[in-house]
Amino acid sequence: MNTAEETPLLEARNLVKTFSGRSGTRAVNDVSFTVRRGEALGLVGESGSGKSTTARCVAGLLHPDSGQVLIAGQDVTRARGRALRATRRRIQMVFQDPYSSLNPRMTVADLVGEGMYVHGIEPDRVRRRDRTVELLETVGMGSEHLDRYPRSFSGGQRQRIAIARALAVGPDLLICDEPVASLDVSVQAQVLNLFGDLREKLGLSLLFIAHDLAVVHHLCGRVAVMNSGRVVEQGDREQVYTSPRHPYTRALLDAVPVPDPAAERARAAGRGAVHTQNHHEEKR
Amino acid sequence: MSTTTPVPTRSAGLRNLLTRKGGNKQGHTTFVDRAALGVAGLMVLLALVGPYLAPMDPYAVDLAKSLTPPGSEHWMGTDANGRDILSRVLAGGRTTILATVAVIAVATVIGTLIGTAAALGGRIVDEILMRICDVGLSLPAIVVALGLAAAMGPSLQSAVIALAATWWPGYARLVRTLVRETRDAEFVESARVLGVSRTRLVLRHVLPNSLSALYVQTTLDVSAVMLVISGLSFVGVGAQVPASEWGAMIAASRDTAITAWWTVLFPGLAIALTAIAFNLVGDWLRVRTDPTLRTGGR
Repeated sequence: MNTAEETPLLEARNLVKTFSGRSGTRAVNDVSFTVRRGEALGLVGESGSGKSTTARCVAGLLHPDSGQVLIAGQDVTRARGRALRATRRRIQMVFQDPYSSLNPRMTVADLVGEGMYVHGIEPDRVRRRDRTVELLETVGMGSEHLDRYPRSFSGGQRQRIAIARALAVGPDLLICDEPVASLDVSVQAQVLNLFGDLREKLGLSLLFIAHDLAVVHHLCGRVAVMNSGRVVEQGDREQVYTSPRHPYTRALLDAVPVPDPAAERARAAGRGAVHTQNHHEEKR
Repeated sequence: MSTTTPVPTRSAGLRNLLTRKGGNKQGHTTFVDRAALGVAGLMVLLALVGPYLAPMDPYAVDLAKSLTPPGSEHWMGTDANGRDILSRVLAGGRTTILATVAVIAVATVIGTLIGTAAALGGRIVDEILMRICDVGLSLPAIVVALGLAAAMGPSLQSAVIALAATWWPGYARLVRTLVRETRDAEFVESARVLGVSRTRLVLRHVLPNSLSALYVQTTLDVSAVMLVISGLSFVGVGAQVPASEWGAMIAASRDTAITAWWTVLFPGLAIALTAIAFNLVGDWLRVRTDPTLRTGGR
């Protein structure tokens, strides 16, 4: 029990991933972070900062050039075969675009049940269907959808199906790669709240990737900020949001529009004072 | 688009395909399409039961009735040997259509296997298989058929083998391109994260979402293959003389074509009609399965 608490659920150690090509870009450069049990870590940064590549390395879709990914202390970058599959099962992923992350030729029942089938969790057809209904309920969908195909659902519903599909194999950690970025704004909040609920109910850990700082603030206790392949700042939510140490984090926070003009001015007067001064000088 | 229209179950899929409403651009089934579907269906039926429908023995020689024009007794007349042409056209449909289907089926299976292996097997495998395809593509079907006929003796079998051997590289190329597209799709990655085995990944996720363009291509190719088979029979390396195969029938009647038009017209008509029908069905299928025209999703 004690050791389980001490070993983080997920640990990324010095991950490096370079994409071949003329430029040879280092998409991920010496990235390290940990996610503890039940914790939600937000990974923020602009597009091209290496967030998604990091996520894909952790999920096992990409093989890092160097560095390690440890799941509950077990190195999955070196593991092979059955042991790897069993460990990998503990980490599942929800993709950005629910329009392309669901096989269009499979019904909801097949999609959600596939993980249970391939891992032999629920080999019996009928019981697997029952479990699928339960999972759909967990994500807020009714059992009447079981035999429908993804094309008959809205973006939000599809993302719920994708979440149920990931939950089916009983993961400890969910990697969410911009899971609401391609959804309508009105639906985003619902799906975000679902992630929050799941974390509470199932004790799920989250590695939540987003470019939207508000989304991360809402959901994650800890935040890591990435810029051009590196983690430039990492810490508790309040600390990162209220007193950012790295200039990139500051720039990122300043870029968030504030709906209240008075608050906007106050912020400019405070944190962005230097910036405004320069601006005035230029005008003159 | 976020349509929430009820979606057909698998069995209703075909019905939906047939009755989908909308302008012609959205794949509205026109009269011509229906006619083509009807003729194509009829030809398939002919391949199954044609020989049993023949009113007379397609091989019965009756020299007394040689070259009888079409009339009440012989609706399509008789050939130089006095054989009933209607019976021969009906019986010949089976030979021609089955040979065509055999070529397409063999070429599709080989093409799919090779194409999938090339797309998923890594760069070296891909290079080797594609160079083999290049060799195959550079060989003209007729030349291979002539060579095989010389080696194995002229027969319909050697024509079918020669055609299948020269036809699959085209399919391998097509399948390779289609699978490479699907391979990187997000739903394939999602299945990989889930821990789906390689075999299941290919069979359940990659191939079903790759092959609709292949089905269209094979339908369109039916007419082309049939014309080549008939052509080979006409040249003399396909079906052999007494056999009632459409191309062979035309070949056997070429001396009488000027004086007795019916000996070549009816088998020729059968070839042309079937070829046109399958071509139209292929076109119709292409519009129908075009992903940009699908309802729902994007």
